Amino acid sequence: MRLARHAFPLAVAAIAVVFLGLFFLLPLIKVFGASILDASGKSFTLANYTTVLSNRFFLNGLTNSLSIAAAASVLAVLVGVPFAFCLARLPIGGKAALLALAALPLVLPSFVGAYALVLLFGRSGIVTGALQALGIPFDSIYGAKGIVAVYTLTLYPYVVLPVTAAFKSIDISVEEAAQNLGASRARVLRTVTLPLVLPSILAGGLLVFIEALENFGVPFVLAEDRPILSVEAYKLFVGETTDNPASAGVLGVLLVVCTIVALMIQRGVLARRHYATGARRSAPLIAVSPALRRLAAAWCWMVVGAALVPFAAVVVISFMKYSGPVLHAGFSTDNFAQLFERSYRPLTNTLLLAGLAACGATLIGVPVGYVIARHRSRLSALIDIVATSPFAVAGTVLGIGLVMTYSSGVLILTGTWIIMVLAYMVRKLPFAVRSAGAILHQIDPSLEEASINLGVPPALTFWRITVPLMLGGIVGGFVLTFVTVASELSATVVLYSGPWTTMTVAMFQALEGTSAGIAAAAATVLIICTVVPVALVYRLLRRHELSML
Amino acid sequence: MTAITIEGVARSFGTVRAVDNVSIAVRDGEFFTLLGPSGCGKTTLLRMVAGFCELDAGRILFGEQRIDTLPPHKRNTGMVFQNYAVFPNLTVGGNVAYGLRARKVRADEMRERVARALKLVQLDGYTERWPHQLSGGQLQRVAIARAIVIEPHVLLLDEPLSNLDAKLRVEMRGEIRRLQKLLGITVLYVTHDQEEALAISDRIAVMRAGRVEQIASPRAIYEAPETPFVASFVGVTNLIEGVVRGHAGGTMEVTFGGGVVRVRGGKGGAGDKVVLSLRPEALRLQGASEPLPDGWAALSGMLGEIEYLGPVTRFAVMLSDGTPLHLMALAPPAAPGTTVAYDPTRVTVMAAP
Repeated sequence: MRLARHAFPLAVAAIAVVFLGLFFLLPLIKVFGASILDASGKSFTLANYTTVLSNRFFLNGLTNSLSIAAAASVLAVLVGVPFAFCLARLPIGGKAALLALAALPLVLPSFVGAYALVLLFGRSGIVTGALQALGIPFDSIYGAKGIVAVYTLTLYPYVVLPVTAAFKSIDISVEEAAQNLGASRARVLRTVTLPLVLPSILAGGLLVFIEALENFGVPFVLAEDRPILSVEAYKLFVGETTDNPASAGVLGVLLVVCTIVALMIQRGVLARRHYATGARRSAPLIAVSPALRRLAAAWCWMVVGAALVPFAAVVVISFMKYSGPVLHAGFSTDNFAQLFERSYRPLTNTLLLAGLAACGATLIGVPVGYVIARHRSRLSALIDIVATSPFAVAGTVLGIGLVMTYSSGVLILTGTWIIMVLAYMVRKLPFAVRSAGAILHQIDPSLEEASINLGVPPALTFWRITVPLMLGGIVGGFVLTFVTVASELSATVVLYSGPWTTMTVAMFQALEGTSAGIAAAAATVLIICTVVPVALVYRLLRRHELSML
Repeated sequence: MTAITIEGVARSFGTVRAVDNVSIAVRDGEFFTLLGPSGCGKTTLLRMVAGFCELDAGRILFGEQRIDTLPPHKRNTGMVFQNYAVFPNLTVGGNVAYGLRARKVRADEMRERVARALKLVQLDGYTERWPHQLSGGQLQRVAIARAIVIEPHVLLLDEPLSNLDAKLRVEMRGEIRRLQKLLGITVLYVTHDQEEALAISDRIAVMRAGRVEQIASPRAIYEAPETPFVASFVGVTNLIEGVVRGHAGGTMEVTFGGGVVRVRGGKGGAGDKVVLSLRPEALRLQGASEPLPDGWAALSGMLGEIEYLGPVTRFAVMLSDGTPLHLMALAPPAAPGTTVAYDPTRVTVMAAP
């Protein structure tokens, strides 16, 4: 009987281990192997590392990547924490709308934001032109400052969502105790409230750091000649001059190591700060003067606006007429006509591949999340770590590893749609697992026990009780997986082949050329592909879930 | 309508022996309660009977049939969970019919049995309601109806009243007892509330740290506790550790730092270490000039702290060695020096642990 009871978790664990072993760990090992083997691929060497690390260009790439990611994290925290505080604790209007709009950048493709910035503030950008016409000197936004600006505006929701939840869950009696002991409002905020939400701030900041580190599209659009690790790894691997898997492997390993170090620092800081709050009621709003309230509301709407206006601008521009690089006023659908001139394949590919990947990630992720949440054991703790680790690996690195592993041998997948779907599934599995787990934590296990007790066998109970109760969450998680896959670029760009060009690749190619209008049209299509599904199921989504994307 | 036999059952979680060699025989149609503090293993034992917790050793039988090897869904037990566990995605009727559907009961019979069960718990007319429309007490009734409608061998209740407010708790426990008598069903009931256990049960097993301390009727548990733990857990009492001095004329004398206590009919040889239990209601204040009631004995001490409780006043008398004796009276004694009289027939002697 014991064996029977453990059969389900064991089977799920086995599937998860085989899947992640083949399509996540093995590719990573290949990347690591490439970085420590000589050209013959037989003997061990550290020469690749010394070559790369003694090269000023790549060293700059490392420091650029790290400093940009760090700056973006700090700025996102500086923007996001006051925003979250206003949302959670101040009496401002339109909070539901603010929260929805604040979360929106998470599902929008970030490199579209970067491209919007180029359209507005680039060398021949609309705003740049207007400013120059007025005689105001304006330096272009290329380089580190532009990249940091885009990261801050597209990644700040990673800070806002968990920190808002944390501000709301503070046990108000702790704050009251501090006031009772003689602390002023400001002192309470500094000595009690902020320290209590610090773990959430750090968690959000870390997510921004990791996302910024691994992002491929934004630096590709904005970095120009400045080296950035994820872009250089791609260039080395795809080989504009000669392909160099060893050096690409070194850069890949460096990226992964940076992420792991950041994770460990965060763990270390959090380990000594374990706050269990048993808040009975959520913290009440703080009464403030009307002036302060208006100021807070203005701040929130300004942040949301600054993050979303570029996307809106892209949509508007995509419906205007270009002749060469010159933009004309007046409505036109020419850009879309040109985009789909040759074929609709990129669009259908995106919908098909994202749909398949979302199905796959859900089918594997929900049972794994179930086992982790319901069968507490050392095995499930291990699965938890393995299943959530893909999020620490840059898409470019995973893509390179998959190509290295599956372009020869028994299983040849390079160039097929399968390898793309597999990469997406691996990358989104952590989200599927976590989101299933989060739903299950809200479903009391005694509901399942009650069903079994009434005579319904466990497997049937899962179908009759657990799945219906999880359904809303599963659908929400499915849609979020779908839209984030639809806007995925970093792994796609390594893995795609001609017939399997996606919308993101189509836009990427349009950027490499000079067809600004086509790129804007592609960006608009991507925005529609991501915003519409999310809007349709928005009611099913629980806000905090977005922060796990 | 089944007897439950629990034989030498044990279960460890890591190094903790949650249930340690427990044997209990619940009679057919009996209302049997597992009583103890949290962590004593009572819920684990109940979940073993339901099949949600595996046994390391021992066996469990319903009547003559061994059931601990059966999967939980084949045991035909009706369980009422602490948090009710009413399915939020089904109506009240759907919840109650759930177990009947699993048993493939015909539609017309099912409708009739659901209606009857809801009538029994006074929820007739609630079939189409959704759980989120119900109060805690109503959810509790749905959970009970759902458990009894399948005509289970035994009804298992896991702290069913702990989420209700005090007044509703008293009302519901009377109703559960009424239902049990009406249906003649065997009930295994888990609670940490000793008053609830005394009020509702035919017999009680007091558990502590995975072991059974005593199995007896409510009256015997209260009046003749076999261990100091049972004496102190059920009701309020004064425990005094002492040594048996000897017997004289059917009375045993026990000495301790504060004097001598006489026990009528006590068992034990001279020199045995024992623990005495003196319930507050077996003690009374003795006026200086009053004669002792026939057969009673007395102890003297100084008045300690006083608590005014409304109808009565509770206070402590500190005996010469500092042992406090708590008792209740309509008014506290006037003088600091006080004599407390006790009835030797109502003092309980237990072997010292």
